[in-house]
Amino acid sequence: MADDKRVDELGKAVKEALDKGEADRVVGLKVDSDGSVRPYLWVKGDDVSALVISPKYPLSTVYRLVHEKHPDMKLGIVARGCDERALVELSKRGNIKLDEIVLIGIACNSDEAQECVCHVPYPTKISAGDKVEGVDTDELLEKIKGMSLEERGEFWSYYFGKCMKCYGCRNSCPLCTCKDCKLEQELFVTPGELPPEYPMFHLLRAFHTVGRCIGCGECEAACPMGIPLTKLYKLLRDDVKEMFGYEAGMDPEAEIPLLTDLTVNPIESGEGGA
Amino acid sequence: MEAIPEYNCVLTTCPYCGCGCQYYLQVLDGELIGVTPCKTHPISQGKLCIKGWNSWQYVVDQGRLTKPLIKKDGKFVEASWDEALDLVAKKLKELKEKYGPDALGYLSSAKTTNEENYVMMKFARAVMGTNNVDHCARLCHASTVAGLAATFGSGAMTNSIPEIEYANVILITGSNTIEQHPLMGKRILAAKEKGAKIILVDPRAIQLSNFADMHLRQRPGTDVAWINGMMNVIIGEGLYDKEFVENFTEGFEELKKLVAEYTPEKVEKISGIPKEQLVEAARLYASGDASSIVYSMGITQHTTGTDNVKSCANLAMVTGNMGKPSTGVNPLRGQNNVQGACDLGALPVVYSGYQKVIDEAARKKFEEAWNTPNLPPENGITVVEMMNAAADGKIKGIYIMGENPMLSNPDINHVRKGLENLEFLVVQDIFLTETAELADVVLPGATYAEKDGTFTATDRQVQRVRKAIEPIGESRADWEIITDLANRMGRGDIFPYKSAKDIMDEINRVTPSYAGITYDRLDKLGRLPWPCPAEDHPGTVYLHKDGKFTRGKGLFFAVPFLEPAELPDDDYPLIMTTGRVMFHFHTGTMTRKSRELNREVPTGFVEINPADAEARKISDKDMVKVSTRRGEIEIPAMVTERVPEGIIFIPFHFKECAANVLTNPALDPVAKIPEFKVCAAQVKA
Repeated sequence: MADDKRVDELGKAVKEALDKGEADRVVGLKVDSDGSVRPYLWVKGDDVSALVISPKYPLSTVYRLVHEKHPDMKLGIVARGCDERALVELSKRGNIKLDEIVLIGIACNSDEAQECVCHVPYPTKISAGDKVEGVDTDELLEKIKGMSLEERGEFWSYYFGKCMKCYGCRNSCPLCTCKDCKLEQELFVTPGELPPEYPMFHLLRAFHTVGRCIGCGECEAACPMGIPLTKLYKLLRDDVKEMFGYEAGMDPEAEIPLLTDLTVNPIESGEGGA
Repeated sequence: MEAIPEYNCVLTTCPYCGCGCQYYLQVLDGELIGVTPCKTHPISQGKLCIKGWNSWQYVVDQGRLTKPLIKKDGKFVEASWDEALDLVAKKLKELKEKYGPDALGYLSSAKTTNEENYVMMKFARAVMGTNNVDHCARLCHASTVAGLAATFGSGAMTNSIPEIEYANVILITGSNTIEQHPLMGKRILAAKEKGAKIILVDPRAIQLSNFADMHLRQRPGTDVAWINGMMNVIIGEGLYDKEFVENFTEGFEELKKLVAEYTPEKVEKISGIPKEQLVEAARLYASGDASSIVYSMGITQHTTGTDNVKSCANLAMVTGNMGKPSTGVNPLRGQNNVQGACDLGALPVVYSGYQKVIDEAARKKFEEAWNTPNLPPENGITVVEMMNAAADGKIKGIYIMGENPMLSNPDINHVRKGLENLEFLVVQDIFLTETAELADVVLPGATYAEKDGTFTATDRQVQRVRKAIEPIGESRADWEIITDLANRMGRGDIFPYKSAKDIMDEINRVTPSYAGITYDRLDKLGRLPWPCPAEDHPGTVYLHKDGKFTRGKGLFFAVPFLEPAELPDDDYPLIMTTGRVMFHFHTGTMTRKSRELNREVPTGFVEINPADAEARKISDKDMVKVSTRRGEIEIPAMVTERVPEGIIFIPFHFKECAANVLTNPALDPVAKIPEFKVCAAQVKA
């Protein structure tokens, strides 16, 4: 099995990083006796036969939490392409330092890439698995784009109408690290309403993902009501790419458009107007 | 190598509703830092509701009880465990000797583990010699336990949560499912997207109404009438399952005769449901290959609660929607472990596994197992009866574990009278609740995050609760406290427990339905649904398979409609009904410690229809006075079409405007559940 090989390679890489002292701990996944899979901090001497690669969890969040408490620890992470891109965006916001990360990369297989509709299903460094082609065609997204304004309104109002306001989309987002979340401000969203105020709640969150959403899909995976949030955010990611040439997580050197255009380099006249 | 950091994700079961979501408690260097969903869990599937996401916050709240408290001169003074438990042991002994064992009562807890409920009921029976042990199931699903035991032979949800997704027709009544059982609500909407038809019968407009194919809005308390009406149509039009009725049931002719009286016209007069809607709903329900009934407290919390439950059972059996996947009668239990607390015998009439205390063989079995001759042979008294008996001076002492009757029971003013009238009250809890404030001794319990055990979800699935952090302060697991107390009272011989697993080992031995549910198996399989009679038994996902009911044949009850105990009149012209909101749980003891949840809904409100509001010159958010024959509260108005004219709704979570000051303590004669869902009220500006 190709997957067994990938897990095997990954286990070896994690063990090696720990044994050689490159990392004191490695954030990864572990399977328990009942088959449940959890984020786990691997340490030297652990039996890596319980190391697994799926289902994927927002491991960059675990990395951030441990790093915040132990900034001097040499911390490794098992990272897929999206995990690495999340780390890149976290570093741009000062949450972590990219050059301190011991990154143990894993390439997604083509099924995984398909499932996530992932454009770049691999990290920049690969220790396990083989690079596969990114996926560019997204059927549901094309369908949405083909809808009339009215149809689109109906589409989203149906899904947003199911929202039970669990905040799971925000809670599971690797990049939602704001201390004061705008979704919790009465000025923007009336508290206590179910479904939450349409369309403010969801559009507010959508606009706040601009420049940081790396398309990992954790929001949608956490949504009890199956709201196709990744489609909404992808539309915005496409706009950001088109308007600012920015793709979140791709280039560690590229500056976040919200910072550059609004504070440092005012948008040139004639561009970006209403 | 340095010992830190220690990052652990501990798989455990949510302490809020009965869905049984498991998730990970995240612990960093011994400190609880949050919750992360478990993507491999069959119910939560990596998703949680807002209560689940925030279910760790109350654990680390500054207000937790950390030391035993003894009331001296009207004030609580911190005490050592030795001092507190010696005092409790001494007082319990004194009261028992002076007034007899039945002058004492014990409230167990649907929030605590199976092991703790078992130990509590064993303590009451074997150490204290009384069957006066009950818990809040009395206030939510006592009528389910009584009604479904009578009709099917087993008083529990017949099918399982995942099955609902594959039903063709789902009849939901008296359940605000998205708000109260969110991960079940998710399944209902998923079923809808797969093509299922949804019939909602509920007086209020709720989020689910927007997705229902039909929404029938009955007058509260008329459920027997509309269910009889549906069967009138189904039988009258020959839409019932003749083969199923003939082969697997008894009592059909009496039922047929009775429901013949409940014509759609008559039902419209009683319930307010237009006859065309009733007919259409009846046909729709009968049309499904797999039709499922989902209900909750809108059915159970009535003086006719048992009748309502029996009526739901009648409807399912008449259409043959029993004993098959995605069908059945599915009561959604409100608490994480209310199913388990019932299963483990924290009820005044049964030992664990519903073995009756009045059954001599069962009694002998437990006398032997517990090495205790002469276990009490008479049924004990229930929650509300216990409070009444306290007020009347017949009950002298009560031991309450993890319950808050000062907010959860009907007619709180009367509860206060009862509790204040006691010679001795012990409250074991995690916070100084409204009830604990009245106690003579308060014992600090540990939360679910600080101990091991099991919870049983609404669909009978038993799952592990795992210790993630050390107990806060000097708090101790409830089973440890009771075990310690039993030791101090000279019964250490039958309370030898060193761990929760030790208790489960004993439960396995004495409880046939739990015989095969061991910790070893749970650690391998994750979850097991009872009945699970042996270690090689896979458990039972849905009950009464192939029409083989637990009691033999399914029994129809011909149930006539009876009005609620209290109807509107000139002084109190409105019908008041109570319930819950998404963002809080029961008496708010836990949810109101969470910033996120409090921010959403900081206090209570009374929903009132615009027409009723206008007639009283009431505007939205005005403070108003709501009164009933029991009392009066001040509460902000929410003027909304969610409630029809003539009906008001108040969530019961909030002590500053407690709905249960107003509710009627009238009881269902069989199940002794109070009529929380209907009373006569007035609202004034």
